[in-house]
Amino acid sequence: MTTILVVEDEPDIRRFLRSSLAAEGFRVIESPTAERGAIDAGTHRPDLAIVDLALPDYDGRELIRQIRGWSSMPIIVLSARHQEQMKIDALDAGADDYITKPFGVGELLARLRVALRHAARSPVGQILKLGRAVVDLARRRAVRDDAEVRLTPIEFRLLAALARHLGMVVTHRQLLSEVWGPSHVGQTHYLRIYLKQLRDKLEEDPVQPRYLLTETGVGYRLVADDDQVNAMRDR
Amino acid sequence: MKGYLWAAGAAAACTLAGIGMRPRFELVNIAMVYLLAVVLVAQRYSRGPAVLATVLSVAAFDLLFVPPQGTFSVEDMQYLVTFAIMLAVGLVISRLAENVRAQADTQARLAADAQTERVRSTLLASISHDLRTPLAVMCGASSSLAERGEQLSPQERQALARSVYEQAREMSDRVAKLLQMTRLEAGGIRLDRDWGSIAEIAGTSLSRLRERLTRHRVVLELPDGLPLVRVDAPLIDQALTNLLENAAIHTPPDTVIRLRAWRAGQELVVSVEDYGQGLAAGDEERVFAKFEHGAAEGRPGGVGLGLAIARAIIVLHGGRAWAERLPIGGSAFRFSLPIEAQPPMPAEAPA
Repeated sequence: MTTILVVEDEPDIRRFLRSSLAAEGFRVIESPTAERGAIDAGTHRPDLAIVDLALPDYDGRELIRQIRGWSSMPIIVLSARHQEQMKIDALDAGADDYITKPFGVGELLARLRVALRHAARSPVGQILKLGRAVVDLARRRAVRDDAEVRLTPIEFRLLAALARHLGMVVTHRQLLSEVWGPSHVGQTHYLRIYLKQLRDKLEEDPVQPRYLLTETGVGYRLVADDDQVNAMRDR
Repeated sequence: MKGYLWAAGAAAACTLAGIGMRPRFELVNIAMVYLLAVVLVAQRYSRGPAVLATVLSVAAFDLLFVPPQGTFSVEDMQYLVTFAIMLAVGLVISRLAENVRAQADTQARLAADAQTERVRSTLLASISHDLRTPLAVMCGASSSLAERGEQLSPQERQALARSVYEQAREMSDRVAKLLQMTRLEAGGIRLDRDWGSIAEIAGTSLSRLRERLTRHRVVLELPDGLPLVRVDAPLIDQALTNLLENAAIHTPPDTVIRLRAWRAGQELVVSVEDYGQGLAAGDEERVFAKFEHGAAEGRPGGVGLGLAIARAIIVLHGGRAWAERLPIGGSAFRFSLPIEAQPPMPAEAPA
């Protein structure tokens, strides 16, 4: 049985998470504080952790750093609106994704499934299906409507960096560091330009993309077709 | 300081006038001229200048007019009474004038307080209406579910639960807007600027509003090659979302909403154009005020903060936000953002 750790101090939010997650067949461990969460993460070895960023004893980001010290379990953070910097810090500290309060249970389950699936499979050598476009990352080939699409080496590297976290958000900093190197983490405009190029080449409507999604102020998220189908079903 | 200069000037002016009057007027009339100067200075300025005017007047009067002239000695003891009266009048008048000024200040402050209080109570009435309606629905529907759930059909339960969910989302959106407006007004928002693409930001705004825009036809005119702007992207996203939402709320279904952007000199202009009934003449400014709803319709939704928030965000970025009536009917809600020198791009061999 898949076990999920919920670190959240509000009892009412824990209650609704407990009942919705239990209804989906998950076993739920509840921790009301960061300290308790750190202990429960060690003793119960959950498959995934949901961590509220505003905890009474210490910062949820610190808890993420602690868990990341010994585990690669997927971590989804709960954050308030207008707190982009907190989300970014949590993601850079090792969280895999975030969800903004208030949220519906469909949205949460969709995020959760993506993260669990991601943890279970190895993304190397994958083939991305993006609507009418198909990208073979290993062979560095892209096809759209049966015609070859020419991607530059940087465009491939960017797509591969996003695909390593398929379905999950990747911060600007992580992308810039992975594609251009750690000395370029401030050059966000590279991403603006290259994401536009990728969308122009792969998306049907580059302004309203379905696959290469913008997480405003935080980063980008690549969603492939199988994830889209699952996200739809979760609704 | 200004008061003291006027006091000295007034005493000097009286002295000149007194010299002119001397051959034909009694000394007591010259004293009256000095007294007038003291009164004027006292009612205009505080006590200090009034005392200075009195002292200078008494000294000049004594030195130049009271026999023996050229000395401060006084022949006739009556003039000591004159001096004493001048000093007393100066002090009394300045005291009276100060009281009057203080009262005027108090009244102005009270009037301003009353105005603020009126605005505040209007706002509170408006806010509580906007928040109470969804709360009433949520209370009613959830109490039905909690207390009478077993007597309801699954469809009815589903419908009630859904309306709680929808009203809660609506309410969450309204509360978020109120908080955001408060933050913007308190100056508590620090811009986190970075290079942003307006087309990309527009994409996220449109995707957030997908459900609200299903009944409209959205036409995009965002040409390639628009410059990047140094902005706090989540805030600009929010401003643009508010403009688009405003257009969706205030125009009939099946009409077109056009989103355009273009470069105008050193500014990037973004325009949301709709083909609804348009703004009433003279409403172009009013619609940006807090808690304003358009004149023509009732209260079609929202707390009336969307446009005010959008403008506050744009102004924070050094831009402008305004509305125009379109000549063919409908209205345009526009904002501009300053364009800075574009950042250098790394060279890469073409694909």
